[in-house]
Amino acid sequence: MTMPGDQTLSRTAITASNVTRQYLGGTFTAVDDVSMELRENEIVCFIGPSGCGKTTMLRMIAGLEYPSMGDLTIFDKPITGPGPDRGMIFQAYTSFPWLTARKNIEYGMKIMGLSRQERSRRSDEFLTLVHLDDFGDSYPASLSGGMKQRVAIARTLAQNPGVLLMDEPFGALDAQVRWEMQEMMIEIIERENTTVVTVTHDIQEAIYLSDRIIFFTRSPGRIKADIPVSFKEGRRIPRKEEMLALPGYVDLERQLFAMMREEIQQK
Amino acid sequence: MIRLRRRNGEDVNQVARRSVSLFELRTVLSGRTSLLLGLAGATGFFIIWEVGHYITPEESQRFLPAPQEVLGALITLIVEKDYIADILKSCFRIFASFFAACLIAVPLGIAMGCFMRLRALLNPTISAFRYLPAASFIPLLLVWFGPTDTQKLALLVLGVIFFLVALILDNTKAVQPELIEAALTMGAGRRRVVTEVVVPAVAPAVVDSMRNMIAVGWTYLVIAEIVAASDGIGAVMMRAGRFLKVDIIMAGILTIGILGVATDILFRLAARYAFPWNRERGE
Repeated sequence: MTMPGDQTLSRTAITASNVTRQYLGGTFTAVDDVSMELRENEIVCFIGPSGCGKTTMLRMIAGLEYPSMGDLTIFDKPITGPGPDRGMIFQAYTSFPWLTARKNIEYGMKIMGLSRQERSRRSDEFLTLVHLDDFGDSYPASLSGGMKQRVAIARTLAQNPGVLLMDEPFGALDAQVRWEMQEMMIEIIERENTTVVTVTHDIQEAIYLSDRIIFFTRSPGRIKADIPVSFKEGRRIPRKEEMLALPGYVDLERQLFAMMREEIQQK
Repeated sequence: MIRLRRRNGEDVNQVARRSVSLFELRTVLSGRTSLLLGLAGATGFFIIWEVGHYITPEESQRFLPAPQEVLGALITLIVEKDYIADILKSCFRIFASFFAACLIAVPLGIAMGCFMRLRALLNPTISAFRYLPAASFIPLLLVWFGPTDTQKLALLVLGVIFFLVALILDNTKAVQPELIEAALTMGAGRRRVVTEVVVPAVAPAVVDSMRNMIAVGWTYLVIAEIVAASDGIGAVMMRAGRFLKVDIIMAGILTIGILGVATDILFRLAARYAFPWNRERGE
């Protein structure tokens, strides 16, 4: 059993080498010369002030946007476009409204060419995983925001992606549901052993979810700091309040808040 | 203050006392209340019409016949003048032309919403056609097709097709981009994204646009049947006009109104049946 984020034993999942992304004919730089290496089974959060290029970076890893300069690889293969090896969760609800929860979850598997029986078996399994056993035949319109997001998460995970990318996945949810979803994600990640990259601007969420936090500066987006969440000692903690009680939590939170203030106050 | 009574006679005012105002902001209405208010509005219209008829001086009353006279004319038309055949003819023209227009406009609008180059290629020209009044094509169509059914169908198609393309293009542009991106990140190819994501996502809006455009089709029907037509509702009205038979003209207008509303209801029911998922929680 390897510890999550164990640098010596796990493979490299994603590398970025001198990645730059410019818009408007090169007059606006969203991401500026970013290099990073993300390990397999690691949970990494991109955090930073609004407009710092963290979402652009994530979308480039997803293959939905392309770097203007630099290279991105996933398990040593260059990223040339989107693919089911990198599942993506969006802030907006993306469960297809015309499909029931179950058909939504089966959709990704259908693209992968799985048989009907296999799809049906796995959709049962993933409905249970996201606590929606009784809602398989419901359309998204009759589900709450958190439930819609759980359908999207199950649909993505059912494809068994090597890397799970999440762009402010709980940003549209209210505080209580967000908290429930965070704990559910820890449970799921622990079970599925997925590599996860999450974009968030919620400092507590970043600390709770991740093994490692990459802090982006405000435009142009560069890496300000690469911070291991070492006080958790590589553990995934099922209950959030247990993490809050750990020594080291407050120090890290204070550090991140201070960095955030620094970025916001800089013109 | 309105005294409300339940069907069994129990006085509701005992239970709840509240004033009912026509101008209460954004209240939620029950289906029954909406229906009753709608009927009240329609009744009001007929009362005003009736009153209008009676305050008109005797010698001009035939230019504003009373509702019951129009209804009488309508019945006479149906019983004695084979009006049903004209109605069916008009319905055929509307539905055949609208079906043909949709057959082209729906796929084209969706394709233009999906593919930017196709949109850039076609949209300026199609937009320009929208500003040409369909009626101005009548002389041209008469030269091309003669006073035939084809000429009328062509006019009706021209009347709606360009607007329909524009509406469906807009509907397609409004499809939430994250739905498409989610499908792409799941490994869906271009064909799948269009047929399995864009098409179902846009379908309810397309049916809504069709419902709105077929109403415009009904307005062009009269124009199409006024010129060089011997049958259809418009032709019947035009003939009646020559003999100053206002009751028959109004019967024609009434017929089109009823058919229009019926078409609208048909589209709504079809949409409800076809898209059971497109209903918000608790509705």
